[in-house]
Amino acid sequence: MSRKNKEALQGIIYILPSFGLILVFCIVPIFMSAYFSFTDYNIMNPPEFAGLDNYVQMFKDDYVTAAVKNTLLYVLMTVPFQTIISLAFAGFIAQKLNGKKGGEFLRSVMFIPVIASAVTAGTIWRIILSTDGGILNNILGIFGIDPVNWLGSTSTSLVSICIVAVWKNVGYFLVIYYAGIMGIPKDLYEAARVDGATTIQQFTKITHPMLKPITYLVVTLGIIWSFQVFDLSYQMTGGGPGHSSVTLVMSIYNSAFKQYRMGYACATAMFLLVIIIVINLLENLFFQEKKEAR
Amino acid sequence: MKKKRVMACLLSGAMAVGMLSGCGGGSGSGGSSDGGSSSASTELNFWFPTYAASDGEMTDEEFWEETLAPFEEEHNCTVNVEIVPWDSYEEKYLTGVNSNDGPDVGYLYMEMFYDYIDMGAIVDIDEYFTDEEKANYLYWDLGNIQDGQYALPVVVGNPRLLIANMDILNEAGITEVPTTWDELTAACQAVLDSNPDVAPLMQDWGNPHYGSLNEIYWPYFWGAGGEIVDEEGNLTIDSEAGLEATEFIYSLMQNGYVPSSATSNDDVLEPFKNGEAAMIFCASSNAVQATDINWDFSILSGPADTKTFVAADSLVLFNSCENKDLAVELMKYVTSADVMSQFHEKLSDQPPITTDEEYAGDERYTDLFTDEQYTAAFQSLPVFKGASSLYDTFYKNLQSMMLGEMTPQEVLTTTTEYYNENLK
Amino acid sequence: MEKMKKQRKWTPLSVIGLLILILFAVICVAPFIYMVFMSFTQSTTLMLHLEDVNFTDFSNFEYVLGRDGFLRALMNSVIVVVCSCLFNCIVSSMAAYGFAKKRFPGRNAIYRIYLMTLMIPGQVTMIPVFIMMNKMNLLNTYFSLVVLILNAFGVFLLRSFMDSVPDELLEAAKVDGCPEYRIFIQIVIPLIKPALISLVVFTFVTSWNDFLWPLVSTTDSSMYTLTVSLSLLKTQYATNYGLVLSGATVSFVFPFILYVFLQKQFVEGIALSGIKG
Repeated sequence: MSRKNKEALQGIIYILPSFGLILVFCIVPIFMSAYFSFTDYNIMNPPEFAGLDNYVQMFKDDYVTAAVKNTLLYVLMTVPFQTIISLAFAGFIAQKLNGKKGGEFLRSVMFIPVIASAVTAGTIWRIILSTDGGILNNILGIFGIDPVNWLGSTSTSLVSICIVAVWKNVGYFLVIYYAGIMGIPKDLYEAARVDGATTIQQFTKITHPMLKPITYLVVTLGIIWSFQVFDLSYQMTGGGPGHSSVTLVMSIYNSAFKQYRMGYACATAMFLLVIIIVINLLENLFFQEKKEAR
Repeated sequence: MKKKRVMACLLSGAMAVGMLSGCGGGSGSGGSSDGGSSSASTELNFWFPTYAASDGEMTDEEFWEETLAPFEEEHNCTVNVEIVPWDSYEEKYLTGVNSNDGPDVGYLYMEMFYDYIDMGAIVDIDEYFTDEEKANYLYWDLGNIQDGQYALPVVVGNPRLLIANMDILNEAGITEVPTTWDELTAACQAVLDSNPDVAPLMQDWGNPHYGSLNEIYWPYFWGAGGEIVDEEGNLTIDSEAGLEATEFIYSLMQNGYVPSSATSNDDVLEPFKNGEAAMIFCASSNAVQATDINWDFSILSGPADTKTFVAADSLVLFNSCENKDLAVELMKYVTSADVMSQFHEKLSDQPPITTDEEYAGDERYTDLFTDEQYTAAFQSLPVFKGASSLYDTFYKNLQSMMLGEMTPQEVLTTTTEYYNENLK
Repeated sequence: MEKMKKQRKWTPLSVIGLLILILFAVICVAPFIYMVFMSFTQSTTLMLHLEDVNFTDFSNFEYVLGRDGFLRALMNSVIVVVCSCLFNCIVSSMAAYGFAKKRFPGRNAIYRIYLMTLMIPGQVTMIPVFIMMNKMNLLNTYFSLVVLILNAFGVFLLRSFMDSVPDELLEAAKVDGCPEYRIFIQIVIPLIKPALISLVVFTFVTSWNDFLWPLVSTTDSSMYTLTVSLSLLKTQYATNYGLVLSGATVSFVFPFILYVFLQKQFVEGIALSGIKG
């Protein structure tokens, strides 16, 4: 065997386990999902071809349209806030508390919600946010604020879930941002200071541009996580009241495992995939353009 | 040398594979209920929902383990009991029925039957029972669904009642539990006036599961003369009666009789036990848990009729069962007077289902379960296509209505449209 | 130096900033403190009354662990997480090594497919995977809970580290007659240790917190993971808050202890993924 062939064989053997599994559990299922989305399938009986029925129905289905709307709102209410808050906190800690025990302590404390699972967090917050006698309403009561029906009214249930999501994610992105800021060469700031740049200017001219790839990561991860949200909403409100906190993944779960409509659920899943791909492309375009403009 | 290197490559490649099968192997020994086909003949999977009170003396698992021990000994078999929580009941059945590890004998409620019969998942059990045995079951005929004896009714009871805290009502000058809609609103108003800290009527609109409809919707709906489906299986909730009932329920919240926090409440019994709610609708067996409260009950009459929900849940035999004779023996054993009286005594206070069992539960219910005046009011849910999905959608829309986002008419129209387009 | 000091001075604005930061940190831990305190009470009201808290009273925990199969679920979660971490590290590092250091036909094409799969969320493939696992009788096994943890991210993360391992080093080892598998295990693996730790942290967090897949793929209560058991507790004991929160405490305490001891690795692992990714 020639050296080249042998290397090729070795390479293939090294990637085989991983590639095989990704093929079986990720790539093939995409095609299966696409196929099922054109069928009526209840798992027990073989799938029956149904053409575009599932897709047509989907856009008329209140449950799915509410899910799309809620998921988009969820993205808009979490991603900007968690990105800005974590960047601001990271910047503050890096500048004012760098190397101090206090800064490190605050950082590790804010990471605690990240470790807890969404189900754990949902369980605790569901109890904290209870309308009658809930601890948050009690605290608000001290300041003379009337009890809020956090999880039981259409206007606040999704917002409550978003707040908990931001609470849970900030610590994660804070760590990423902090590491990014620490990675910016110190002499850039030295030079800026010599030129008399203010703190704000330093931030907009040095920190922000240098962190662009990290912001890209934080925003992308944030958006992808948001589109996949299920656990928090399942645990805190079960999608209710009404359709007010139903998410896309929940509607997939619901059609597949409650209504036994696998084909329909696959159609919704394909729709989710398309949304994610489009957002990825848009975002690439957006960050690309900015890079060129600079 | 070369050989050795190739070997090395293969070895490291095999490492991952070994890892994989290692995990898979681990599961075989780790998973307790094994679906091995060789032992299936002497092993049965029995699925039953939770009935034990959360602070009760016995868990469901403990009860069935103890109760089924003699059966296992007699037939020299193992019965794996799986207690299925109500919360994700339908999901668990769907996944279970399709896996190798699914139930042989299970427990379905009316909403689920159409789908399972349609899928061919459950079996007609008529031939397994003698006429004598059939005659002993009080509700045998209830199990005749879609032209077949697919069900063996096991819990027929748990009627939903209007339960009232008599101390609170008396304080408000009301001496009897309301029996009509007008009396109900009058009582609510009286409580509202006399005791502002108490919720006149509590409802669990925050429950994620549509099962709450059985307490907070259907009794009113039937009381107004509504029918869920007609004989051809068309959905008929969008009717005058439906509108009347829905508007009445809506008005209860508009008038403050049902507190606005009801939309996040998922357990009415707790505020009732704590004396924070004057009246609730709840299942007869749950009301018994309110031991500290001086309560009484009634069945509420609507303008057209007196009806309330009653559970008609049944044991079923799954098609995938490999030893159907043994499984039927298990069904007979579970529904025998012996086991059922234990069940009623230790887990859930329900009326007997066979002629040879005596009712021995709460005395307040003796009349309820025997007097024609009450039993004539009991109504169970119809069997039709997409029932559970319909109830789920309907419930969500009603929730939106309670929050002021939909009008009663819109709820009925939208739900009917949705059903006709998606579920029929 | 002068200017540096000036920069660090505490202006009123930065004091407000610090206060906000501290407030947020308090909000981050307060729910967990509430959770732990409540799990030592027997109360069915939501307000925390300190006089009700009895840290020697473990009855809630005994109840939850004993009666509700939480112990079993805890064990399942530990098994699944440990297997997931090992499995993901081995398979991904092998693949990353193959991609980075071996030339074979179709390498770039396959790698591009890998990158594309990064965009596919597991929820999209969940239904077909469920159907497949079902047909293969793999539902309710540790295998089904572990194997889905594998995705292209691990390969992607490790490969960027593999690239920085100098080829000369591997060549030299080969010339010395070191067999291929030993090059991989004894030379390459130690060099990418930081990245592996990062991957372990990721896998740990993902696997421990995974909910949707265990929820749909386990019907046998003895195969439930902690997240599934906890979600069921909420409806079964809706108003026994002490009990529900003691379940939450159990599911929280294990990763928390790990975090306390491996804090540096946690933070570094995630920070690393940010820089490299």
